Amino acid sequence: MNQLLEQFLSEAREFLQSIAEKLLLLEKEPKSTDLIMELFRLVHTLKGNSGLFDLPEMTRVLHASEDLMEAVRSGNVTYSVLLADTLLDAMDFVGMLCDELEANGNIDASHTSESANLSQMLRQLIWDVNNAPVCEEHDHESVLLNEFYRKEVIPKDLVQQLSRVSEPIRLAAFSSAMQGEPLHWLCYTPSEDCFFMGEDPFFQARQTPGLVGGGITPREPWPKLAELDAYRCVLDFHVLSLAPLGELNEFYRYVSDQVEIVTILPRTLIIPQGDLDESPVYVDFVTEALHLLHQGDREGLSLAVQSMQELANPELWISSALRWIVLVMTSGQEDSDEILKVILNSMQSCIPPEWTATKKEPSPAQPSAPVHDQTLCVESQQIPGAGGLLSDAMDVLVTIVAAQREILALPCDVSWLAGRINGVASVLSGCLGIIGREDALSELRKATESAVSQGTAAPVLEWLNRTFPPNTGQQGMPSPTIAGVKPILSPTGKQGVGVGANPARIPSSAQGEVKFGRRAEDSFLGTKILKVDQVKIDRLMNLIGEMVVAKNALPYVSGRAESVYGVRELSREIKTQYAVINRIAEEMQDSIMQVRMMPVSFIFQRFPRLVRDISHRLGKEVNLVLEGEDTEADKNIIEALGDPLVHIVRNSLDHGIEPPDIRRSASKPSAGTLTICATRESDRVIITIKDDGKGINPDFIKQKAYEKGLIDEDRLNRITDQEAINLIFAPGFSTADEVSDLSGRGVGMDVVKSAVEKVNGSLLLESEKNAGTCISLSLPLSMAVTNVMIVASNNQIFGVPMDVVVETVRVPRKDIRSIKNTQTTVLRGRIIPLKSLNFLMGMNTPPMASDEDELAVLVVQHGGEPVGVLVDDFHETVDIILKPMTGVLAGLAAYAGSALLGDGSVLMVLNIKEIL
Amino acid sequence: MPIIYKKNKAIFNEIIGVEEAEGLLEWLHQNPRGKIDLGSCTHLHAADLQVLMAAKNLISVQPVDISLAAWLVSTDIY
Repeated sequence: MNQLLEQFLSEAREFLQSIAEKLLLLEKEPKSTDLIMELFRLVHTLKGNSGLFDLPEMTRVLHASEDLMEAVRSGNVTYSVLLADTLLDAMDFVGMLCDELEANGNIDASHTSESANLSQMLRQLIWDVNNAPVCEEHDHESVLLNEFYRKEVIPKDLVQQLSRVSEPIRLAAFSSAMQGEPLHWLCYTPSEDCFFMGEDPFFQARQTPGLVGGGITPREPWPKLAELDAYRCVLDFHVLSLAPLGELNEFYRYVSDQVEIVTILPRTLIIPQGDLDESPVYVDFVTEALHLLHQGDREGLSLAVQSMQELANPELWISSALRWIVLVMTSGQEDSDEILKVILNSMQSCIPPEWTATKKEPSPAQPSAPVHDQTLCVESQQIPGAGGLLSDAMDVLVTIVAAQREILALPCDVSWLAGRINGVASVLSGCLGIIGREDALSELRKATESAVSQGTAAPVLEWLNRTFPPNTGQQGMPSPTIAGVKPILSPTGKQGVGVGANPARIPSSAQGEVKFGRRAEDSFLGTKILKVDQVKIDRLMNLIGEMVVAKNALPYVSGRAESVYGVRELSREIKTQYAVINRIAEEMQDSIMQVRMMPVSFIFQRFPRLVRDISHRLGKEVNLVLEGEDTEADKNIIEALGDPLVHIVRNSLDHGIEPPDIRRSASKPSAGTLTICATRESDRVIITIKDDGKGINPDFIKQKAYEKGLIDEDRLNRITDQEAINLIFAPGFSTADEVSDLSGRGVGMDVVKSAVEKVNGSLLLESEKNAGTCISLSLPLSMAVTNVMIVASNNQIFGVPMDVVVETVRVPRKDIRSIKNTQTTVLRGRIIPLKSLNFLMGMNTPPMASDEDELAVLVVQHGGEPVGVLVDDFHETVDIILKPMTGVLAGLAAYAGSALLGDGSVLMVLNIKEIL
Repeated sequence: MPIIYKKNKAIFNEIIGVEEAEGLLEWLHQNPRGKIDLGSCTHLHAADLQVLMAAKNLISVQPVDISLAAWLVSTDIY
């Protein structure tokens, strides 16, 4: 799992925890603005963070939560227990997603609907208040909110929309669906400003999995061309698909709030189309066909249909119906008889597309919606007058009944219960009047009376359930009215009001039943990551440093025990103990350093984006190769490395890699390659940045440096190519004549160099003209422990960091020559300048020679050249914890810092670069 | 150029992006009787589509691309 995601997950858990805490606190003092602000901030940050990743489900819920908190913050919505519950549910859901993300590395698309439902519930809380009469003042914000939550409803004119799909497509889809493939009708209502978000809804619709056909309709009548806003999307898309629901949800997961998917029965597709011709010949045919059907004479029916097809003009409506009959007959569907009968009947009445009406007919074979004898539909069929109810009226009736059921299900502990029950009763009796069920009125009246007297809504609810039974499993929604259409996902529909959701998929709504298996009582999953303040680690680091120093005192003690007190046994025992303590201390130091270690991927992560952006801006093609991302180094080093690396990469892109056409003419691949590679070499991390660009032209650099006055004419003639290349690290050097946003300010590479040197790193630049440039950064693994060599001079000891020490030699005095004012010697055929440490430190004592008249020379690396430092004597090398100079001493540039030695003395560590 | 504008005809080529919508609208506004040749068009952005739908009855050549043509049938664009 990538580092960023890991970090996000650990942070998200913390946020969720604090959100839960704040919510609980808010319960105690709901008026606290501070808490609300804090809560808003938490949700807001969490949402922002989740937006970094491809987690539409999580972001959507958090976005809705944020909106809700915003509404609470601005006082449009007041805090309530319901609000807290819903928010907690939402946070549980987010927590669950986090768990899943951690376990699987991704989030299953199946959560899309839950996410849509949750955000719907959250928005509902804002919506409710905005609709309440209390908040009637239509300030700007609530108007916006209203507009935002304006809902599209489930397609009422499904048949009309379906009829827009051409007949051959519907015929084909019908056959496929008969083979057992799922059939879905999808309405995609893109938001008006979707074009500005880079979406192409038409493309999206065309790419729908399992697409068989579709249609596009404008949402509003077209204005005059002059008034048309081309960039405001007013198109709705409808898609008939044979893909499974899961696949569709996955495909539309980013816009799931703009998509409605319904599973439709294949028969819904049977919409004969064509010219109407009311010739009576069909009546005979229909009578005959019905007769044949009744007798079960399929062959005869098939013949009759065939001959009829030959007679009729294929353009006619009747031919279309015949085609459907043929298809239904060959499809071998169990209830094909029923369907055939319906089609034939519609032919008889010669009413154009009649499938709408037949939808309401009782068909026992309907698999998705079992119909009971007592259902609303059956009754409306049986009762004269009610059968003629239009489907719209039917929808309304269903909606009303469902709403009453919901009202009755509310808690009964309110003083206005009687009024509520009476209200429901009068609504229901009105409905009964309309559908002609006056006979049921008396029963209703009885139920109402007993309900009022008992102070509970139960009797009326019971009556309601008896008379208008809710469909099994579909709470509050007598589904047979929309037979053939099973609503699956209606994130935009209002909950429980007729267009409610299928509880099998979306755990039901307003009652707050949604639980995501994570509540306070659930087992607590401890995180594996511990976040510690860096100060604490630093303190540990200092302590272990002192420990190492203290432990180093033991050998001295042991030495004294033997030499001063003459107790040899004790001395040996001390040494044994020292070995043990030494081992433990070293391990401890190691593991504390481990805590501070970070993989370089922490800084590498930003490069893919950076390289992409810059190369686009420059019109270059670049392949970025990252290697060794898991190489670790101390946190301070890694952090100090970030900016220099960005500089180097920018330079490579800007100056190194050529534009594609130039590369091609130089017979290189048009895309350049930039390799950033991290490796570990003993106690150092090597980071190389290599490009295959045009390299650095030393002559050009020389010229530029001369122009800028960085070198004089004399040096210009003598300078080697490698030295010239290194001039790019000189302060004030820039090859660009004009300052661009990328380079040319002349503060590039010298800043890089000093930043790297600040963390005791070194920099190596190699470049070959037309072949590329390679910059290697060598950095210590950790800055905590420094290996220094102790040298003595003028009866004092000094430390010299080992990374600058090249070698130690003893040079006979006679081999030292003076050139001008400088002492030199020849070491392995190379002239090395010699400098006395005493002189450098401002002490006037000459270096002390050994008995053989040899001088101790410490050869150090200075700016790529060896320099000899004359000292009195060499001592051992030690690992020390280097403490930078503080206070007044901080101004002494000659010292890199100080350290305590085992015997308690202070060792001053020299900053060789400064004193030379 | 995805759309080639001729005197009285606009020829759509392959994929028409969202940025063409404004120009197309402008052209249709100036050439109300201009005809659209979708013959070699394989996809057009929803923004372009709605401009064509708003303009109505301008398509002189239907797209060869069967799936695009099938979609356009549903739009009253022809």
